[in-house]
Amino acid sequence: MITVDIQKRLGAFQLDVQFEADRETVVLFGRSGSGKSRSLAAIAGLMRPDSGTIAIGDRTVFDSWRGINVPPQQRSLGYLFQQVGLFPHMTVDQNIAYPLAGWDRTARDRRVEELKRLLRIEDLGRRYPDQISGGQQQRVALARALARPVEALLLDEPFSALDEALRADLRAELIRLRGELDVPIVCVTHDLREAHLLADRIAVVEDGHVFQFASRMEVFQHPASRRVAELTGVANIFAARGIGGTRVEIGGLPFEVPTAVPAGIDVDVALRAERCLLRRIDPTEALPANCFLAEITSELAFGSSYTLRLAPAGPGPSVEVDIASHPYDVLGIATRKQWVVELPAADLHVMQRETTLDAR
Amino acid sequence: MPERTARRTWSFTGSLESLFVSPTLLFAAFILVPLIALSVRGWQDGEVAQRLTSPFVIHALQLSIITSTLSLALALVLGVPAAYLLARSRFPGHRMLTILVELPMVLPPTVAGVALLVAFGRRGLIGATLSDLGLELAFTTAAVVLAQLFVAAPFLVRSLQAGFEAIDPTYEEVSRTLGVSEWRTFWRVTLPLAWPALLSGSVLCWTRSLSELGATIIFAGNFEGRTQTMPLAIITAFESSAGLSGAIALSLMLLAVALVLLLLTRVVSRRSRGDVS
Repeated sequence: MITVDIQKRLGAFQLDVQFEADRETVVLFGRSGSGKSRSLAAIAGLMRPDSGTIAIGDRTVFDSWRGINVPPQQRSLGYLFQQVGLFPHMTVDQNIAYPLAGWDRTARDRRVEELKRLLRIEDLGRRYPDQISGGQQQRVALARALARPVEALLLDEPFSALDEALRADLRAELIRLRGELDVPIVCVTHDLREAHLLADRIAVVEDGHVFQFASRMEVFQHPASRRVAELTGVANIFAARGIGGTRVEIGGLPFEVPTAVPAGIDVDVALRAERCLLRRIDPTEALPANCFLAEITSELAFGSSYTLRLAPAGPGPSVEVDIASHPYDVLGIATRKQWVVELPAADLHVMQRETTLDAR
Repeated sequence: MPERTARRTWSFTGSLESLFVSPTLLFAAFILVPLIALSVRGWQDGEVAQRLTSPFVIHALQLSIITSTLSLALALVLGVPAAYLLARSRFPGHRMLTILVELPMVLPPTVAGVALLVAFGRRGLIGATLSDLGLELAFTTAAVVLAQLFVAAPFLVRSLQAGFEAIDPTYEEVSRTLGVSEWRTFWRVTLPLAWPALLSGSVLCWTRSLSELGATIIFAGNFEGRTQTMPLAIITAFESSAGLSGAIALSLMLLAVALVLLLLTRVVSRRSRGDVS
């Protein structure tokens, strides 16, 4: 268990983050410069917060009130740096054995072999870091970070330096390891898919603050605010106004939403692009609820899917729609410009409008 | 090692490089010719071989090697911490200290000798007190070591400071997050990574000590067996009745020592570079 509640002023930047990690993977998700890596450095003891507390397991390692600040070497953490940081003057074996200086030789050798097996780098023991690939370096660094018994694992953009194939490989490795480690893992990433893949819970960090800390599903399906929705890649965020009951008005049209919104209240409504539907309805007939007529203005092909932008033909909002290549072909999207767009009521997510005060 | 094979083949690309060949050859010749002359004279002059084993020469050689080794050891003890601090910490007076460390490198050694004398001499600023305590420094072997230290240590500090600065501090942070203390990190990570700089700095410091003349002759004097190192012996021999023969014998010996040192460090640094890469 890790609990973090820290504040730190760095010039004009104010870091103020709170989160916790039980025996699970918590992803600190945000853009570069949002303060997520600094939060990790604080947990490791490499950056001293101005105020707050940090606890690892049942031990408080930082408490500004009680004057506790345990040095990094006594925090028993596995910390995987973004820059990897393998010692260039040591072999792979020596790097992995480095934290085990106090162990007797046989125990140390056995542990090194065990870790190499775990991370599938058995053949690299005698090589130097610059003689192995980036993915192998990353595995060696992970083996080294896990060599001692650790109470938590901290990963700072662990796969950012790798190409896509290696990343997929290592992510799978990490997911496999997670089951065996049974310690809290805090992982920093700016990659949405990575966050989705690894996280049990996600802390969305922006401008030094946590804007939402919740389960992965909650963050992706029910972002707390427009800001979180934007950061987590929600393509459609509509400005809406309650018109009584569970109906809101968007772009001059009434839409059904899952939650009641008091009449006259401004809200934001989020809809992920892949949840937005194109329907094959004769436009001369009366349209069902939550449907309107729109025209394709641009389209981007990503191979397995297409991203379409549509502008309303009459009233209604502009929307972005992701559609897989198969339905794209079956519907014959390429052959027609005008489509009926449905914003499915169940997938519309109503968010309280952020005032400038709330937005910090 | 593709780098090595490339070095063995001819490759002068472009007219600029071709243009630079002649000055380079001239420069090489300029250094080589006096050294050859020295060797040839040593070979032809029957007296030189005799002089090589004279007590006068042996004493000077012994003294030179002992004092320069001692001054290197002292330079390491004081210089390694100073270089690390200058490289890693920022504190008031940092720039002043940097300049202070570099000052002896630009100071004429004779000036250093005079300064050392008025500081540590019998009636010097500190020397007077030391003298009252029964500790005489000037005109002793200790003075030779101090003179060499003053003049040569900055070469070590400068080289090593640059070496430490070139090491990414992340390595030290990584080490600490792996549960290793700062002290151990220094010995197992920082210093080994600075090894090339440590080696080249030590060689510079040692050879500078070996060739020290000006500060030594003023602060330590010129007493055979006590303060007369090789360079002082060369001067003495040159001015004595023995004349050039003695000077040549001593010069050849010093040249040999310098060559051996240079080759040795080349071998050691190549081996360590093999380790690192």
